Amino acid sequence: MGEVITVTSGKGGVGKSTLSANLAVGLSELGKKVVAIDFDIGLRNLDMILGLENRIVYDVVDVMEGRCNLSQALINDKRSKNLYFLPASQTNDKDILDREKVRELLEKLKKDFDIIILDSPAGIESGFEHSIFLADRALVVSTPDVSAVRDADRVIGIIDAKSQKAKDGEEVKKYVIINRLKPEMVETGSMLSVDDVLNILALPLIGVVPDDEKIITSTNEGEPIYYDKDSQAAEAYRRIARRILGEEVEFLDLSVKKGFFKRLFG
Amino acid sequence: MTLFEKFFGKKKASANVAKDRLTVMLAHERAECAVPYIDDLKRDILEVLRKYTKAGDVNIKTEKNQNIDMLEIEIQLGN
Repeated sequence: MGEVITVTSGKGGVGKSTLSANLAVGLSELGKKVVAIDFDIGLRNLDMILGLENRIVYDVVDVMEGRCNLSQALINDKRSKNLYFLPASQTNDKDILDREKVRELLEKLKKDFDIIILDSPAGIESGFEHSIFLADRALVVSTPDVSAVRDADRVIGIIDAKSQKAKDGEEVKKYVIINRLKPEMVETGSMLSVDDVLNILALPLIGVVPDDEKIITSTNEGEPIYYDKDSQAAEAYRRIARRILGEEVEFLDLSVKKGFFKRLFG
Repeated sequence: MTLFEKFFGKKKASANVAKDRLTVMLAHERAECAVPYIDDLKRDILEVLRKYTKAGDVNIKTEKNQNIDMLEIEIQLGN
């Protein structure tokens, strides 16, 4: 039976979709059969990050409403043959998802896939509720700034209330991913550090991704940065993917290396 | 923080300001979140009160003091 991993945040724009895309690629490169679903109904964008936007015929709502078969809507990734993608619908009706239909779809996918990555919309409305409803694990993404951390805290507080697993007396495992960290700024005390954020959110850390300009160019080209051997962000994604599979992996060394004079006068 | 700044002092690093502001804000927000039934409770209390009084409104505040969680209920009786 597959596992449902929901990537969520409170605030928008913290990098959920980029993270979902890269973790999906990563997990499939590690040999798992993965499907990534864009649950941001009306605001599709996982397709562009994966570079699969031209191959979309049907979307997730078409499947749930029975307008097509699951296999017709699933798009196989161009590089990773173990990876499939199910796009969001571009309807204006954000309340179109139905809880029972979501359940039916996910139960079906769990039979065929090892891991189902749900890219949740920002906010705490119905789209978020549907994406957390059947989650086995939740990865809460936050950047190290006050608004993102505050909203992440709020989301963490309501995950259990919206989850089937919590209703059944089990626990949704929740982890924090700190995204777009700028080590030089942390060093000078101008940005919240990893420890600061963890002390506030009080959840285990599963990854720290440094800010990396290459992500912009890779998104421009529709090639997930995961494959870039020189990118630090890609290395961070690779480590998170391994941690998701239960491996103990050291965290990236993000300390700033500087010379004696710089340390003195900085 | 550089050694230079450590010796000669500098205004508080902005990350520390962020940390303090977040801690205060979240302590407040979490207290609200810890009592998700607050609206239902308020409605029920008001319903009972109206059987006996002309109560206009009920305010419920949550308070957290060391180990004690408190609900502060303020009843406004009508004229």
